[in-house]
Amino acid sequence: MNKLFDLRFVIGTFFLIVGLLLLLYGFFSSESDQSVNRWCGSIFSIFGFVMLLLSYQKKADESTPD
Amino acid sequence: MQLHFIDYSIIILYFLFVIGVGFLLKKKIKTGNDFLMSNRSIPLWITSLAFISANLGAQEVLGMAASGSKYGLYTAHYYWIGAAIAMVFLGVFMMPFYYGSKARSVPEYLKLRFDEKTRSFNALSFAVMTVFSSGISLYALAMLMQTILGWDFSLSVWTAAGIVLIYTFLGGLTSAVYNEVLQFFLIVLGIAPLVFIGLHKAGGWEGIMHNVDNVKLHLWKGMDNAANNPMGVDGFSLIFGLGFVLSFGYWCTDFLVVQRAMISRNLNDAQRTPLIAAFPKIIMPLIVILPGIIILALQNQFPGFELPKNADGVTDYNMTLPVMLSKLYPSGILGVGITALIASFMSGMAGNVTAFNTVWTFDIYQSHINKNASEKHYLYVGKATTVVGILFSIATAYFARQFNNIMDLLQLVFSFVNAPLFATFFLGMFWKRTTGHGAFWGLLSGTSAAALTHGLTVAEGKGGWITNLHTFYSGTSQAFNIAWIAFTVCFIVTVLISLATKPAPREKLIGLVYSLTPKQTDPSKAWYRNPLWLGIIVLLITLVFNIIFY
Repeated sequence: MNKLFDLRFVIGTFFLIVGLLLLLYGFFSSESDQSVNRWCGSIFSIFGFVMLLLSYQKKADESTPD
Repeated sequence: MQLHFIDYSIIILYFLFVIGVGFLLKKKIKTGNDFLMSNRSIPLWITSLAFISANLGAQEVLGMAASGSKYGLYTAHYYWIGAAIAMVFLGVFMMPFYYGSKARSVPEYLKLRFDEKTRSFNALSFAVMTVFSSGISLYALAMLMQTILGWDFSLSVWTAAGIVLIYTFLGGLTSAVYNEVLQFFLIVLGIAPLVFIGLHKAGGWEGIMHNVDNVKLHLWKGMDNAANNPMGVDGFSLIFGLGFVLSFGYWCTDFLVVQRAMISRNLNDAQRTPLIAAFPKIIMPLIVILPGIIILALQNQFPGFELPKNADGVTDYNMTLPVMLSKLYPSGILGVGITALIASFMSGMAGNVTAFNTVWTFDIYQSHINKNASEKHYLYVGKATTVVGILFSIATAYFARQFNNIMDLLQLVFSFVNAPLFATFFLGMFWKRTTGHGAFWGLLSGTSAAALTHGLTVAEGKGGWITNLHTFYSGTSQAFNIAWIAFTVCFIVTVLISLATKPAPREKLIGLVYSLTPKQTDPSKAWYRNPLWLGIIVLLITLVFNIIFY
């Protein structure tokens, strides 16, 4: 539950989902010129993943005894 | 503009996340202080991004792209002259008083420094302004969605207001601040690809240079005379009106933004909040102004990028960003772009509502109606005020729809109230002789001077409702001149009345006035923790930008 209070986790999850949606749409849509969606999807996914990683990193730091 | 299933999915996902943040934070809200002040527990990176995001409302995102198209690069003055310097001043010099005095709001600082009447004047005018600003944001969102997507006006108003109500009612200021950070990333990441694609299509910076009128690609060229630049302002009114009065008046005294720094965990974080926020702020023109310049280049090279006319037959520059989105974004990323626009409106609205409920609860209700109630009681008052604030915003949105000109009138009245405010704070913080009577009458006369100047001058057919003594080249020039005149009148009246009235005792002013406040030192000595060093870096970068784009 504490993880959900971490804003980086919330932002990371949001952008990871949006990024994956754009990637899926970019690869499987019948519309032409989907490179923008593929590029943006990749960047959003990486950004989301990094934010998630940072939120886990923080948790690990907090659990390390002094 | 036609949205598809993928676009709607992204919009709905965003709505679910912002509401979810409210639900997650609900359990943490137990007292009025938690709800209205986040219990001063928010980390620095969040307060910094919320600080900039509170200002990243619709006016910023849509309005600056529109100004970029109308005035070109001159619009960047709103950032490099009109924001960066004031943010440094707030962080280095003013935050110690706001934070150190333990005031919960800007009007409460005025009570501590001056007296109850000065606080009440500021609190009442601020409360009215925020609730109307929130309504105007809502109206503008609904009108935009109606124009570009064909959505029903009422559906947009009630959906946006309902979502903002849910997350601010449940999670209070913390929820608004958390969502502002999410909105910041969404706006930046949602609009940045537009700049990249637009720039690529226009032929890069070379293409811009070849296809945009050279007069719109400078910052300072032609500033010797208002007739020589597209903004229609002269150097003096730009530097003194925008760069000093309006800029410092907004960034240093507007509780909407100052509140984001006041909820930091300690004084050093509070000081660094506006300074760290200044770094993204000074590169924000790349996201919000550049699209307005890019569209000028695209208009010269490709059909379909012309801006539509509004009801008066005048080019509607506010459509700059929507036209760019519809022409350059395919489905998918288009949903992200539209969500970014919606986020900017909701961010502006939530910021106003949370500032309104704090000022109403602490500075009006607790101060005048019920002084000694429990924390739980103020929590309920804060929540009730949130609902009332949202309902007033909805009413304002419908009112603005019936009487379109009311928006111009409201924004004009707001500028009259804001313009002299910085003189009051400046004197209050740096001249210990300033008295409560001086501050109050200075504010009143400054506000009156602003109204009078507007009544005696005309620009673009506006103003001159008493008589026309002078015609300005542009409305922007008129606004800058009104600002410095109001500031000067407020300053002089405050000084004269202060000299004629009895000052507050010295011991009452400790922690509230610069000369009577012990200076803070940071034991770690690390440069990145030192507000002064951060401020110098911000100013140096700003100077470099001014030189490059001279």
